[in-house]
Amino acid sequence: MDFNYTEEQEKLRKEVHEFFSSNLPSDYRPRGVGGTGTTLEQFQFWMDLQRKAGAKGYLTPGWSKASGGLGLSDMEQGIVSEETSYWGATWPGSQGIRVCGPPVHVFGTEEQKSTFLPGIAKGEVIWYQAFTEPDAGSDEANVSLRATEENDHYILNGQKTFITAPGPADYLYTLARTQDVIPKHRGISLFLIDAHSPGISYSALATLGIFTVDIFFDNVKVPKSRLLGELNRGFYHAMVTFEFERSTTGAAAGARRNLEELIEFCREEKRNGQPLLKDPAVRNLLADRAIEMELSWLQGWFAAWHFSQRDKLGSPPPEAGGLHGKVVSADRAQQLIDSLGLYGQLRRGSKYCKYEGRAANAWMSSRSTHPAGTIEINKIVLAGRGLGLPRIPAKFNKEIRAAVEGVGV
Amino acid sequence: MEFTFTEEQEMLRTSARDFLETECTEKLVREVEDGDEGYSPELWKKIADLGWLGLVYPEQYGGAGMNVIDLAVLYEEFGRTMFPSPHLSTVVLGGMTVLEAGSDAQKADILPKIADGSKIVALALTEPESAWEMKKTWDPEGVTVSATADGDNYVIDGTKLFVHDAVVADDILVVTRTKTGGNPADGITLFLVDAKSSGISVMPLITVAGDKQCEVAFNKVKVPKASIVGELNGGWAPLSKAMQVATVMLCAQMLGAGQRLLELSVDYAKTRIQFDMPIGINQYIQEHCVFLLRDVNGGRWSTYLAAWKLAEGEPCDFEVSVAKAWGSDAHEHACWCAHQVHAGVGYTVFDGVVPLYSRRGKTLQLYMGDTAYHKEKIATILEGWPAPEKPKAKPLGLWEEVPDRGWIPEWWNEFDKGT
Repeated sequence: MDFNYTEEQEKLRKEVHEFFSSNLPSDYRPRGVGGTGTTLEQFQFWMDLQRKAGAKGYLTPGWSKASGGLGLSDMEQGIVSEETSYWGATWPGSQGIRVCGPPVHVFGTEEQKSTFLPGIAKGEVIWYQAFTEPDAGSDEANVSLRATEENDHYILNGQKTFITAPGPADYLYTLARTQDVIPKHRGISLFLIDAHSPGISYSALATLGIFTVDIFFDNVKVPKSRLLGELNRGFYHAMVTFEFERSTTGAAAGARRNLEELIEFCREEKRNGQPLLKDPAVRNLLADRAIEMELSWLQGWFAAWHFSQRDKLGSPPPEAGGLHGKVVSADRAQQLIDSLGLYGQLRRGSKYCKYEGRAANAWMSSRSTHPAGTIEINKIVLAGRGLGLPRIPAKFNKEIRAAVEGVGV
Repeated sequence: MEFTFTEEQEMLRTSARDFLETECTEKLVREVEDGDEGYSPELWKKIADLGWLGLVYPEQYGGAGMNVIDLAVLYEEFGRTMFPSPHLSTVVLGGMTVLEAGSDAQKADILPKIADGSKIVALALTEPESAWEMKKTWDPEGVTVSATADGDNYVIDGTKLFVHDAVVADDILVVTRTKTGGNPADGITLFLVDAKSSGISVMPLITVAGDKQCEVAFNKVKVPKASIVGELNGGWAPLSKAMQVATVMLCAQMLGAGQRLLELSVDYAKTRIQFDMPIGINQYIQEHCVFLLRDVNGGRWSTYLAAWKLAEGEPCDFEVSVAKAWGSDAHEHACWCAHQVHAGVGYTVFDGVVPLYSRRGKTLQLYMGDTAYHKEKIATILEGWPAPEKPKAKPLGLWEEVPDRGWIPEWWNEFDKGT
């Protein structure tokens, strides 16, 4: 057992820390909604910093030097991700970095790798992970965006929705149906698509939290060379994506920074002549956050460590920390907004606004706990795969639907 | 960073589990509860032979020279089988305080006797008033029982409450106030007193756990100066170190108990048939099982982080309080979930094992501070956190108060949205 970082890890941390502290302006304020700022200037700032980080290899530290990374180990990557999150840096290109790039590494052709990976590593491009559809949310395999083979390309028709849009898209990483088959997940393929291909159109789908879009496909021509991995194996390939999406050490570091900011606010802000820090309800809230931060730190590093030992240890034990975070996030946001009384309602820039409207933003975005699976789906997965509890086999679903249709109406 | 146990720790875990599953049966736990002593002397002798009473003491005192992480591994197994014994009182709170602060003569006299099973110690800390004022219960502020110098002796006077294992203790480690005013921690003196000294009366209380927590009244008890452990007025520091270890051991026990509750509940959910199906197919039941997993898993590494820091001799007030604040709440919730899965079967006192865990769990949650107590400790630590670090590049004025009016970022207006 050892909870220390190694000397090399500490050295790396210092370097990355220095990168951020010397490149972020002293009047920088971490922002909640959208992460990448709401003004054009703020967005441009992040794109510029993203390029600088890319030049250092900090966006994709785990990738080989040849593909624009630093060739760092799983544990060292955890350090970079901690520092990045501590400073509240949310990259416009994060989906390419975290979600779309890794499977290109694993399943891509040499041509795909050389076309797509350098831009991601250098921080030049923005990818959207375009998976969700109106009828394929939690039921991810129910994809109906259709890709029909025609000569040397596919023709795509259909719709994606709730696609996170941290900036203008360059590429889409998309699941499309290439075969009608039971089970449904055996007929899905992955495509790497130019975001401005003729026939693609976008409309805004603003949410209480991060900005998302609807994407419509009207006879969009995608060359066959843009199919990623094997035809009809896309769903399985995408599972690799989910693994990447869920491994993180950054969450706790981001939570630490948030907690530091909140403590500072509660130190300066007074009520009844006393700092908010002395208010029992506020103390309770801060302690809850500190406990969750610490548990998340341990969980993040345990996951990173287990992943680094995967050859020896195999798949990790069932882990409910992510579920816990989702379950309590709404409570924490509510405690915070309520602790500001009537002022909690005020958004940033409003007269009398306190804490830069962060309580209101956090509270609004806490209404959504669905990214990487709703709370309910998390429970179902943990109960089934984690604890081995029984479930009704999918082959009965249609029969059950037929039996209950109209019942109770 | 390494989330591993040593080979010795794995062996200790396996052998402890095998031994306790055979020796510390549910039947034994119930018998001990019904008895007057709160432990099984035969089993106590056996674990002395296994070296579990001297586990963390140096070899010169008859110990095995192991550390707090090893001890936590053992305590997880204690928790799993609800092992009823004065181990925490004797080995951790009594013995480790003596090891930390005692004179060479005291250590040479007392520790080997603890290690060979011939001496049981109880800690008399909490008092009727301090137990009622929850913020003071485990702090020096709460200590009012006085010890007054009288020639070569001291006279201890006052009442201690919720003293674990006092009915069977050979010695009682009494936490007294020998000075008032100023810093409350300054003025605490520890006495290791023969439990049979005249003027001491012990009365067991009736608790939900059926364990032996007592009222111990000291009626002008005369004790020799030589029975002071550590410095006059300087008893709090060594005691609080032992209390930190005890706190982490309680977390380890709750972890072991919680793990068992999880196994029992998942097993019951898979095998209990209602409406022609195992009840575990219902998502309401699954939810209880998943939360049990959350409650148990969440505490594993926070417990071992605290144990590791204690073993390394690093300051760990924050880590210990995080482990106990989470652990106590999570354990209460874990017991609740297990009850829900087991329903009526989880409610029967004589047949069901869940109520046994539940009742005994409450003591683990409260002892050495419950969640509210440790959250307040955490909040006090957070007050001392530094301000967030400011970056150093020249200001750009980009983060002026731009009103958060809309829901759509500006770049969207420039974006080519296609047809």
